[in-house]
Amino acid sequence: MRSHIREFDSSTLNESVQNTIMRDLKAVGKKFMHVLYPRKSNTLLRDWDLWGPLILCVTLALMLQRSSVDSEKDGGPQFAEVFVIVWFGAVTITLNSKLLGGNISFFQSLCVLGYCILPLTVAMLVCRLVLLAEQGPINFMVRLFVVIVMFTWSIVASTAFLADSQPPNRKALAIYPVFLFYFVISWMILTFTPQ
Amino acid sequence: MLQQDSNDDTEDVSLFDAEEETTNRPKQSKIRHPVASFFHLFFRVSAIVVYLLCELFSSSFIACMVTIILLLSCDFWAVKNVTGRLMVGLRWWNHIDEDGKSHWVFESRKDSAQESKTVSEAESRIFWLGLIACPVLWVIFAFSALFSFRVKWLAVVIMGVVLQGANLYGYIRCKVGSRKNLTNMATSYLGKQLLRQNTGDDQTS
Repeated sequence: MRSHIREFDSSTLNESVQNTIMRDLKAVGKKFMHVLYPRKSNTLLRDWDLWGPLILCVTLALMLQRSSVDSEKDGGPQFAEVFVIVWFGAVTITLNSKLLGGNISFFQSLCVLGYCILPLTVAMLVCRLVLLAEQGPINFMVRLFVVIVMFTWSIVASTAFLADSQPPNRKALAIYPVFLFYFVISWMILTFTPQ
Repeated sequence: MLQQDSNDDTEDVSLFDAEEETTNRPKQSKIRHPVASFFHLFFRVSAIVVYLLCELFSSSFIACMVTIILLLSCDFWAVKNVTGRLMVGLRWWNHIDEDGKSHWVFESRKDSAQESKTVSEAESRIFWLGLIACPVLWVIFAFSALFSFRVKWLAVVIMGVVLQGANLYGYIRCKVGSRKNLTNMATSYLGKQLLRQNTGDDQTS
C-alpha cells in the first residue's frame, strides 16, 4: 500500500496544470453520472470532492431567489439561508452517522449528500419553468408530482451509497435524517413563489 | 610546528567548504513561474478586495456573495493543486483506502540536482506571504462581522477562513514533515538551548 502511494505521489507532483484540471473535471462528471444512475459502487466514495455540492448549492440558492421590487432588500438572507441549511444539514447528518458507528469518513458523507441534491436542483429548474405558466391547482399538481419523483430519486441515490456503511440494525436510524434533510429542501422548492 | 599549523589550516578550510556545499545550494532569486505566482495572489487578493468594496460596486448582496464564493473556490483549488506544486514543491491531499479509512498525505519534492526543480527564493517568499497573510485577514473580518452585527456576511467570511486556513495548515504540515518531526525538532532545540546555557554558565563561572 505504501509503495503504491509513493508512485502516485511522484506522478501527481510533477504533472502539468492541464492534466490536473482535466482529472478533477472528469472526477466531478463521473460522480454526477453516478447520481443520475445510482448503482452500488465503492469507487464513488473513495475519491470524494466537494465541487459538485458547491455548484449545486449555489445554483439552488440562486434559483430560490424571490424577485423583489426593492433592490436594496434583495434576497440576501434567503441566499445565505439556503447555504446554511444545506451545509449545516449535511454536517449534522454526517455527525449522526458517525456517532451511530458508521465507518464512513466525514468528507465522503458530505460528498454523497451534496451530490444527491442534483435531482432536487433539476426539480427546482422544472418548477421555475412551470411557474411561468398560469397559476392554479393543475400547476400545483404538476409541481408536486415532479418534486415527489425527484425527492424519491435523491433518497434512493443517497441510500445506495450510505446504507452500506452502517451495521444492519442501525440502518433506519442513520437514514431517517437523510429523509428529513431532503424533505426540507423539497419543501423549500415546492413552496417557492416568485413574488 | 609550522607544518602542523598549515595542515590544520587546510583541514579547517576544507571542512568549511564541505559544509558550505551542502548547506548553501545556489538559490535563484528569479521567478520561474510568473503565471502561477500571479494567480496565487490574484484570487486571494481580489476576494478580499471584493469583500471590502462590495457596497461601492453593486447594490446586490447576492452578486457580491457569489463572486466572493467563486473567487475563494478558485483560489483554494489553484493553491492546493497548482501553485504549491510549482512554486515550492509541496502537495497535500486525502486518500481513502479500501477499508474506508482516510489518510491525509503530505509530501514534499526531494531536492534534486536539476536546476529547474529547485525552489527559488522569490517564489517561496511570495507563496508563504500570500498563504499566511490572507487567512489572518479573513479571521479579522470574521470578528468584525460578528461584533458589528453584519451577520449576513458571516457565511462568506467563515467560508474564507475555512478554505484558506485549510491550505495554510496543509502546507505547514508538508513543510514541517509529520507532527512527530515537529515535536522532535522542538525538544532537540530546547535541549540545545539548555546545554548552551549550562556550558555558558560553566565558562563564565
